[in-house]
Amino acid sequence: MPRETKQAEAALKKLGQRVRAGWAKKHPISQRSRETVRTAVREQWELEQKAKRERMLSQKPPTKNKGKGKDKGRGFGPGE
Amino acid sequence: MDDLIKLVRTYRLTAGLPDRERLADDIFSQIEPKMRLFVNGKIRPQFADDVLQEVLKAIVISLPTFSGLTSDGFVGWCRGIARHKIHNQYEANAKASERFQALPPEEIWEHMNASAQDMPFATGERLDLDYAMKLLAESKPECVEYLVKHFVDDLDYDEIAEEENIKENAMRMRIERCVETARELVA
Repeated sequence: MPRETKQAEAALKKLGQRVRAGWAKKHPISQRSRETVRTAVREQWELEQKAKRERMLSQKPPTKNKGKGKDKGRGFGPGE
Repeated sequence: MDDLIKLVRTYRLTAGLPDRERLADDIFSQIEPKMRLFVNGKIRPQFADDVLQEVLKAIVISLPTFSGLTSDGFVGWCRGIARHKIHNQYEANAKASERFQALPPEEIWEHMNASAQDMPFATGERLDLDYAMKLLAESKPECVEYLVKHFVDDLDYDEIAEEENIKENAMRMRIERCVETARELVA
């Protein structure tokens, strides 16, 4: 690529950086956007908590091991 | 910008709501202006803010699935979500969307001057910016679109190529040709 074209690209890059920086300065995050994000974060978190609770409820309570028939279940564990 | 990816990764590992809200505030303070710039270039102004809200919501919801490692990767990923939402909006209401709208030159200067409040122009920088403005002014509308998307909106070649439905390398060559042609016209 000729040197002049590289210079042209560099000037356009500089323009882009300046426009983006100026845009961000002139348009900081709006209150509406802030609220949208907070609501979405809260809703997402609540969904996760609900899913977690449902997972815990769906798990069967552990069976009591009375020490009898200890060897009955052998053969199903990992590596066996 | 460098700490953006750290914030995103911390957010993904954070379980408590107050911490997530605080991190989301920090992440979206950086992301929202970029998404606003992106959406405004593609959607009519009266619809742009509503679409932007949809984009932000979708980013929050999808955040747990983001697996990239860089801030630029994260911004590109957010733009992908925005593109998808804009496409949906276009299908829902054809009037909402229109072809690319470049910022008018006076508005470009307004933004560049605003940036100088925090980061004054270096010696000779104004000449470079004048030159860049001339390059845009001399370019054909199609080239203005590509140049603004690449240099101002900061879209990678592959992103613009996807929008134009062509190969990345072909897009790179088109943009290089646009720069070359504009440079010859300004010289």
